[in-house]
Amino acid sequence: MNLILILIISFGGAILTYLAGKISSKLRDILAVIISSGLFFYISSLFGTHFETKLWLNFLGFPLLLRLNQLAWIFTLVISLIGALAVIFSLSYIRGKEKTDYYYLMILTVNAAMMAIVLAGDLITFFIFWEIMSWTTFLMICYKKGPALKAGMKYIVMSIFGSMAMLIGILTIYTAFDTVVISELITKFASASPGFTLFTMIMFFIGFGVKNAIVPFHTWLPYAHAEAPSPFSSILSGVLIKIGVYGFILVLYVMVGVYKSLQLSSWLTGIKYTLSIIAAFTIVIPTLIAILQDDAKKLLAWSTIGQAGYIFLGLAFGTSLGLAGGMLHFFNHAFFKALLFLVVGAVEFRTNGIRDLNSLGGLSKKMPFTFIAALIGVAGLIGIPITNGFVSKWLIYKTLIIEHSPFLAFAALFGTWGTILYCYKFLHSIFLGQLPEKLKSVKRSPVNMRIPFFVLSVGIILFGILPGIPLRVINEIIVSTGLERLNISLWGLVSDTGILNTLNIFIAIVITGLIASFIFKLARRSRYVDQDDNYAAGAYVPKDKYNFSVDFYAPFYRMFENYLKDFFDILYDKIARTTEYLCDNIRKIYNGYVGNYVMYILIFLGILVFVQLKWSVF
Amino acid sequence: MYFLHLFILALLALFSGIILVGISRKISARIHWRYGPPLLQPLIDVIKLFSQNSISHGFFFDFGIILTLVGSFILIFFIPVSNLYVMNSGGLIAVIYIMLLSPFGLAISAAAGANPNASIGITRKFLLSFAYEIPLLLILLSVMTHYNTISLVKIVDMQVDSGWSFGSGTLILSGISYLLILPAILGIRPFEVVNASQEISSGPLTEFGGKHLAFASIQHSLHTYAVLALFVDLFLGGSSLFGLLKPISSTIWGSLIGILVFLVKVAVLMIFCLFINAVFPRYRIDQAMKYIWKWPLLTAFVGLLIVSLLN
Amino acid sequence: MDRNQIGKWFKNPSKMANKYSLHAIYFCTGCGIIEIPPSITTRWDAERFGIIPVATPRQANLFMITGYVSTKTLKAIIRTYEQMPEPKYTVAFGSCPINGGMYYDSYNTIKCLDKFIPVDGYIAGCMPRPEAVFIGVTHLWKLIDMDKANGYKKYRENYPFYRANQEQLFGDLDWPPLFPKENTNG
Repeated sequence: MNLILILIISFGGAILTYLAGKISSKLRDILAVIISSGLFFYISSLFGTHFETKLWLNFLGFPLLLRLNQLAWIFTLVISLIGALAVIFSLSYIRGKEKTDYYYLMILTVNAAMMAIVLAGDLITFFIFWEIMSWTTFLMICYKKGPALKAGMKYIVMSIFGSMAMLIGILTIYTAFDTVVISELITKFASASPGFTLFTMIMFFIGFGVKNAIVPFHTWLPYAHAEAPSPFSSILSGVLIKIGVYGFILVLYVMVGVYKSLQLSSWLTGIKYTLSIIAAFTIVIPTLIAILQDDAKKLLAWSTIGQAGYIFLGLAFGTSLGLAGGMLHFFNHAFFKALLFLVVGAVEFRTNGIRDLNSLGGLSKKMPFTFIAALIGVAGLIGIPITNGFVSKWLIYKTLIIEHSPFLAFAALFGTWGTILYCYKFLHSIFLGQLPEKLKSVKRSPVNMRIPFFVLSVGIILFGILPGIPLRVINEIIVSTGLERLNISLWGLVSDTGILNTLNIFIAIVITGLIASFIFKLARRSRYVDQDDNYAAGAYVPKDKYNFSVDFYAPFYRMFENYLKDFFDILYDKIARTTEYLCDNIRKIYNGYVGNYVMYILIFLGILVFVQLKWSVF
Repeated sequence: MYFLHLFILALLALFSGIILVGISRKISARIHWRYGPPLLQPLIDVIKLFSQNSISHGFFFDFGIILTLVGSFILIFFIPVSNLYVMNSGGLIAVIYIMLLSPFGLAISAAAGANPNASIGITRKFLLSFAYEIPLLLILLSVMTHYNTISLVKIVDMQVDSGWSFGSGTLILSGISYLLILPAILGIRPFEVVNASQEISSGPLTEFGGKHLAFASIQHSLHTYAVLALFVDLFLGGSSLFGLLKPISSTIWGSLIGILVFLVKVAVLMIFCLFINAVFPRYRIDQAMKYIWKWPLLTAFVGLLIVSLLN
Repeated sequence: MDRNQIGKWFKNPSKMANKYSLHAIYFCTGCGIIEIPPSITTRWDAERFGIIPVATPRQANLFMITGYVSTKTLKAIIRTYEQMPEPKYTVAFGSCPINGGMYYDSYNTIKCLDKFIPVDGYIAGCMPRPEAVFIGVTHLWKLIDMDKANGYKKYRENYPFYRANQEQLFGDLDWPPLFPKENTNG
């Protein structure tokens, strides 16, 4: 009953908000905020419970089931949190633009569809809501006209390709086992043959891989994230990608089971090795491509692809540390990526749509709160020790070292250094450096944008100091998949190859920071000067020309530009163009002359007669 | 006991950092056939800088420089000297991540000064760090895989029993690669492309004066000490003297002699790097990246390959 | 040189540190700069006195005006001097900064530098050899000991005088006053 209530509130609330928008915009705003925050609080109160309910509708004879367990709970929590914060952010972002009611309808429907996917108890419900999520996302990406339409087209074509693969997988399961309910499939898969399991897993992985943007299927992501409106980009990067991770965990860990999937093939082509090598490529190459980007949202989008690789690297090993690392990284990444996209949204909002890194600069003086939020988000993304990014990355590295794959650990650590390069470029080109003249009148972020910044920043730092809070929930999930429990406490982790105690690190940093600031204050006072009183070799400081942001890492670009093109994007474009060319040429047989059509009919009849005479088919 | 270790480690790091920078200026001078400043000249510089009334460009200018010093201090606490260590949580992976805190703080502070020379300097710093981190990560991973632990304290203890890592056959290639990139990590010639580049008027330190420059100088000396101490701990056996000190290792005398042996090793390593520093000019940043990614990277890669195959 | 007397260090560390760590800004103002590279390199080693060249005025506390000052250079000199942190010392070489020297009848040189920025001491010679530069530095130490090298304090206290002279020469200046005027009565 509780789960049906969630579905009714979320879907019904979306439609209600749209209708309320026709009456008055204030009512619609209040309703949207109440619905999304209400859902978040309701779901957080359902912690620790397990449900399984049946919807009263049937779909083509299949009963539709919903179920809630720890795994679904943590995903639903993150989805509703990021959704609520994005809606609060949109209140001022979207005010005054056209089609605002449509915007709220779509954003609430996407949230609702994602929650329903995660709460699904059987594969048909899963697929129905997966498709609803896909096309509502497509409609949201195409919200602004222009290049957004092309980006949306790329997204929807690839998404349909993935969904069809997933449908094939579901149909094969149904024909083999005669049921699609997940809890029953767990027992049925134990007796399946390895070849069959491998086939269904590959089909599902293609479906989830497209949504999750693993390397061969990632080409839609940069365009879609860059062209979507910023609050929706934060939902896209923060949670929508991770629905693929949910599906992956569902197939690999829950349905097929860890031990069975690890024994699937010989050691060279096993799941562990192929998946971890794909994940390593997904970490390294998009991180390097992100360094080359000049558009703030494209940079963050490529960064998302890279971080998704980390999650997969953790999940590929099938150990409890690996699963913990992967799931914790999913949880953390939602926080900092959503925060960073919302920061770009705030900057875009206040500067009337500028998101090109080469034109911004020095905004830390005008928008200090936004800068602090960006700093915390970037610190989490890099993995600086008092943020939650450090804990999840530490778990992933631990897994890699224990499993004796140092080359993969090298790829992951290399990803961290690439992250530092593009994160600093992002921070510097927007917030540091010289403030251009045309941005001197930029105001600070509005209050409703500061609420998500505050909540997400507190989350990043709090879960960095006390990682035990999310790790407790993840420990339950690990135990429910059959792996052994981790030895965690509120502030750390104990295992036989090394301990992690984040509270110690935090206390050390705070005490040293306090001592250093104390010494700093004791020294002679400094005079505050503005940016025009600067070293320019005795000359005056030229306004607008004293900012270094174009060609930021010029030596790096010169060395790697030719090798870091998105080859898959070029490949898919070529395939699409060749298909279009071929189909265009086939169309040319319809040239409008009736005489030609009569000739075609006669030739075909002649072929039929010949075949009948020769081989007597009919 | 904890606070005693903390105090001694911090004092040791500050003192040896300043003496190491003083040694570097004195030895460079002697190689150039001149006299050079006294050994404690960096201390005089820092005292003078603290007595200057300088300028500041805002809150983030101050915050960044404090973060830089905090990062270096925290790094000191992770590196064990004889049997003194303050923090072990997270092990070598936490050390790799704490090494990111200092450049990040310096980057925020320098760029908040709104000077393009500082921004270019920071770009070069990050690119150089990116370049040397690749072989450095391979080296650290080979050490971690060889000893099958991520705890730095355990690695030092294992070297007391089984001899220096540098001398063992499996880790010699990693050690040689580490020696080849040590000038890059320290920031001395031929890799002095970041600071004191007359091309970009001292790079990130352009707008620093007074107490900001004092903090940056202290950070520089702490960084020098920390990098050399890490090498000594990983490859030269920490404070072990071929196992001679094992019987007295848990007494006060044992700790003191251990600290002395440690400092001697750090000084010898510094003098080795100074001989290279005194005679070389600077590489450009792309020449530096290409150099580091040729032989040092190859040696580190082969070293990791050997270690992972033998384990 | 009393650098080794520890007692003096404890009595007044900032004065001793300012004496023995003079970072000179490497700004080549006039013809005398030719004598500076020999002073700071191997043959006449200036680093043993604690003098090293630095690139930016923010890090410097010694400004050497080496020779004549043309009107164009004076703008850069004033900006550089104002960007240096206090306490700072200025030393002028030759006779051109005192009274115009060899260029006393040129339209383009500054005849009396002390009207525009305060100068703590002058070193005789056209141009002074490195040995003379070092003797000048030791005299500067003596002045610092006796608290007489207070050019920067004179600049702060008499800033309207210096600013008026600068504005009389250049007209309206690009940069705002360093020490904003307090409104006095009347």
